[in-house]
Amino acid sequence: MPGKAAGLQLETSASDIVEIAALRGRALDVARIALGRGVPLPALGRALVATGHLALCVRPDRWLILSPPAPAGASAAAWQAACAGLGAVLDQSSGFSALEFAGSQAREVLVRSCRIDLDPLAFPVGTACATIMAQVPVILVALASGLLLLTPATTARHFHEWLVSASRLLGFEPPSQKHDAAVSDGLAGAGDRLS
Amino acid sequence: MQGAARIAHGLLTDAARPLGFRFDGRPMQGLAGDTLASALLANGRQLIGRSFKYHRPRGIVTAGPEEPCALVDLIGAGGREPNHLATTLMLYQGLVAESQNRWPSLGFDVMALNDLVARFLPAGFYYKTFMAPGWAWERLYEPLIRRAAGLGRLDALVGEHAAAAETVHDHTDVLVVGAGVAGLTAAHRLGASGLTVMLAEQDAVLGGGALLDARWADWRQSTCAALSALPQVRCLPRTTVLGAYGHGVFGALENLAGADAASHGGLRERLRIIRARRVIFATGALERLIAFPGNDLPGVMLAGAALAYLRRYGVAVGRQPAFFLNTDQAYETVFALAGAGIERLGVIDVRRGSLAAERARALGIEVHDGAVVEAVIGRAGVGGVRVANRDGGQRREFEADCLLISGGYCPATALASQLGAALRWQDAIAAFTPDLSPAVGRMAGAARGVFGLAAAARNGEAAARVIAAELGHASLAAGLGLAVAPDPAATPIDALWEVRARGKAFVDLQNDVTAADVRLAQREGYEHVEHMKRYTTHGMATDQGRIGGLVGSAVLAQARGLPLSEVGQPKPRPYSQPVPLAALAGSEVRQHLKPKRRLPLHDWHEAAGASFVTTGLWLRPLVYSRQTGWEAVLREARAVRRSVGISDMSTLGKIDVQGPDAAKFLDFIYANTLSTLAVGRSRYGIMLREDGMVLDDGTTSRLAQQHFLVTTTTANAAVVLEHMEFHLQAMCPQFDVLLSDVADQWAQFAIAGPRSREVVAAVVADLDLSSQAFPFMAASAATIAGVAGRVFRISFSGELAYELAVPARHGLSVWLAVLAAGQPFGIEPYGLDALNTLRIEKGHVTAAEINGNTCAADLGFQRMLKQQVDFIGRTLSQRAGLGAPDRMQLVGVRPVNRARRLRNGSHLVAPTARTTSLGYVTSSTPSTELPGWVGLALLAGGQQHSGQRLLASSPIHKEATEVEIVSPHMIDPENVRVRA
Repeated sequence: MPGKAAGLQLETSASDIVEIAALRGRALDVARIALGRGVPLPALGRALVATGHLALCVRPDRWLILSPPAPAGASAAAWQAACAGLGAVLDQSSGFSALEFAGSQAREVLVRSCRIDLDPLAFPVGTACATIMAQVPVILVALASGLLLLTPATTARHFHEWLVSASRLLGFEPPSQKHDAAVSDGLAGAGDRLS
Repeated sequence: MQGAARIAHGLLTDAARPLGFRFDGRPMQGLAGDTLASALLANGRQLIGRSFKYHRPRGIVTAGPEEPCALVDLIGAGGREPNHLATTLMLYQGLVAESQNRWPSLGFDVMALNDLVARFLPAGFYYKTFMAPGWAWERLYEPLIRRAAGLGRLDALVGEHAAAAETVHDHTDVLVVGAGVAGLTAAHRLGASGLTVMLAEQDAVLGGGALLDARWADWRQSTCAALSALPQVRCLPRTTVLGAYGHGVFGALENLAGADAASHGGLRERLRIIRARRVIFATGALERLIAFPGNDLPGVMLAGAALAYLRRYGVAVGRQPAFFLNTDQAYETVFALAGAGIERLGVIDVRRGSLAAERARALGIEVHDGAVVEAVIGRAGVGGVRVANRDGGQRREFEADCLLISGGYCPATALASQLGAALRWQDAIAAFTPDLSPAVGRMAGAARGVFGLAAAARNGEAAARVIAAELGHASLAAGLGLAVAPDPAATPIDALWEVRARGKAFVDLQNDVTAADVRLAQREGYEHVEHMKRYTTHGMATDQGRIGGLVGSAVLAQARGLPLSEVGQPKPRPYSQPVPLAALAGSEVRQHLKPKRRLPLHDWHEAAGASFVTTGLWLRPLVYSRQTGWEAVLREARAVRRSVGISDMSTLGKIDVQGPDAAKFLDFIYANTLSTLAVGRSRYGIMLREDGMVLDDGTTSRLAQQHFLVTTTTANAAVVLEHMEFHLQAMCPQFDVLLSDVADQWAQFAIAGPRSREVVAAVVADLDLSSQAFPFMAASAATIAGVAGRVFRISFSGELAYELAVPARHGLSVWLAVLAAGQPFGIEPYGLDALNTLRIEKGHVTAAEINGNTCAADLGFQRMLKQQVDFIGRTLSQRAGLGAPDRMQLVGVRPVNRARRLRNGSHLVAPTARTTSLGYVTSSTPSTELPGWVGLALLAGGQQHSGQRLLASSPIHKEATEVEIVSPHMIDPENVRVRA
């Protein structure tokens, strides 16, 4: 549900999210299997996009893979089967809420709480990190089209409210968020979003 | 003509834009560009306020944020705000200010009596004087002293102010603190070399000392223009760096005044948290006072401040100024005032001859060499000075309408000291300079003890050069090639700290600390400079005693017979100036004060009429009714006891544990054994802290051989995850285990009551729910209302019960399906209150009983503890004290008179010894099935008292209810129902 204001766009993005954690010494095996499934896994602090999937890594040997919505649990089940014995595969589609925040002023809003340097020189496209904003955990990913923010689902509304009010202070009026989780915009075409 | 007045054109004031303002009710006029202080001086006003302790008349002493005396109340639309500095408050049309700490008026102040009885009010007098009687301190003395002391007064907390601040995080290669000649030079050279620079200046205009020297006007303008053309340099005027916190983190407060504030929606302050790779402290030096009797009278001012008022605002602080100084630098004010047409000047120079004195004499100015000021003549203002030779001879008096003093210059070292820089004594300037670690940054200019503007420019460039090289820019960009006026040759300082003569000689003007107070502290054993500070409060006021700090140390050094370099200065701490709390809170106020966690079904609960309660960050449905009282709670709870209810348990912590060593790890974390758990089964478990006390409880289910799901209590979800992560990484690094937080992924609902099996069977397609196939404590994956989820047969209520878990985004459809399936049985959603009622009468514990002070035995869990195998908390759980028979242990309580209620927190006492608490009621509720109230309590000796009668006493309610001590398991003690 896109909402545009001068210099600022805020959209909720429904995607399937799978968390994959490799058992000790199995990270390369997991990466090989993922590559075979068309999803190259990035190094720590990085994000990669391929074939409509976005993979990011903010913990050692652990990845989040975002993909367009499939029937409930199907994404996780496929990865579970592929990675059996190599690690833990968890469906986190309901665990995180994804927001895309873009526009020339997006960084100006986020510096009101974000301690990470979001200057494109310091945080170029393809960078990912975990931090705290508005007192809740947030995973930040720099895409070519803007920033992707992942925040725990149960505090997502709080974070969104803070984001809207911080935006207002700068004179922007982002759209009110639809709290219905079934918003289907997804990451289809995410491939063109990274450089 | 006498007194202060505007006599010339000021660099910052606009004569074409007069501004009206009021001070103490009197209308006055200033100019755009004035501070309140310069406008008051332009109106001939010297008396500004009364002092903190002695209520002595005080005036304006400085021209900047180091001001100790000129504090005023500012009366705005939002109310009264105390302690604004007149020296930094920018004048605006309609400004209303009032003097502080006087009653009934500034001219006649009753408390000035304190000044006359001062010999009875030495430093620390309240520790000595108000000793007896004992009761009087709290009830009499302290209230009196508090009323007499303090400066401004707060009207009330003003809500509107709270929104007018924000926090911003900044990142830069180099932070340059101070935009004087050194700072401007460094910022320009670094910026031109391609580094990002933030230049923070507390003043509203950039330039520092260059603003006060006409020969540097072109240099200043050209450099500022060049800086604003560099996009990688951000100039921040009105921005004070408040604290240096290490690792390149700095806090700075930016004041947004006037039009700037209006364009930001009324924003007044912006707290900037700056992360920089290097810092340059070009913070300049502060002129210091000299302690002599009467050095606090209105009209006694620092010489450099008088120069600032003349150059910046065109205001002469007097028409017949006397000077008392000991450096050539301070003569700049003499020459400036003489050049502005002030004719009757007199200089008292501590030194016996100097280059500057010769220049002054050549201009026809009277200079008294080798002399000191012994006293100031006048009561509420300067009428003259009494001068003597340094040896005390040749006393004489001179007329004067102000006294401009300068005891030398102290490099501004507070920020460097906060970063641990040691202070080094410099005889040449009689001051300390900091040894800043090069890994942090550099000092530059006067902050480094290099005096003179041309020297500052060279020094700023040198600092820029080394920092650019350290940050990978081997060649520094060329400078602007501007002409630089050379620094005049100067005769060195002759340090003078105090003139000892009759009368109060102040070292701290804001806290009214005299040199005699410092000596008293030394005599009474407070010899260390930090002890002296605390005993006398020297340097503890809002100005941090900056203009007299070193003077106090010098007086102490003299009293101790030590060199000043050994006595040192007290350690400065953040913040370097007062900060409004609103600025620290930033945007995290009101609804953003603290995060709210909402259940996946929050909107449904709200629409169903739930009252919410905040537990931790969670908003949880308390009861599905807007009515207070027990009726709705008991209706919900009885639905569970009699038929079926549904409750949202999604707040429980859920931790996914996988890996070859998962079972071993859980055995180590939990006090009881989990490795023997069969796949498809759940087990109740408790975990201890290292000290042997119970940390948390919950059920753990084995989903596969190497896959467990741990549930934690709502309150401890984050604590337990951290506890497990810590022990996995630090204590069990050999274990191959993966912990994942899945709390937000799963919505979890309890369906409880004798009819729950029928309801669950209606929504779960692929699972035989009979007790044979799916007994108590069974767990299985299942399809629930078409959604892949999990079913657990666990019970918190004590009834036959199931918990259904589904991915949260499908929670609503499953919840609605269960409600539809339960409709024939009258299913009721139940909230936290009903949940509590059910668990209390069943004797299940929660945070009220697992309160950090209870061990396993206290709660009846002693048989769960593994005997042979190690686990966290095992050793200390075997402490003798934890087995003591008089420890408080879990019991049930019931009023003997069933009509009486119980209260949480009531003390259990014996009828014969009502003042000795034996324990207390932790949880209580009206029962669903038993008559009257039931409760849980922690009672010394616990079950030994079973069957006895005690009193549950709540003195604040003036109640004492007779109760009997019973088993905590008051409903279905044989646990038959859960196995139905």
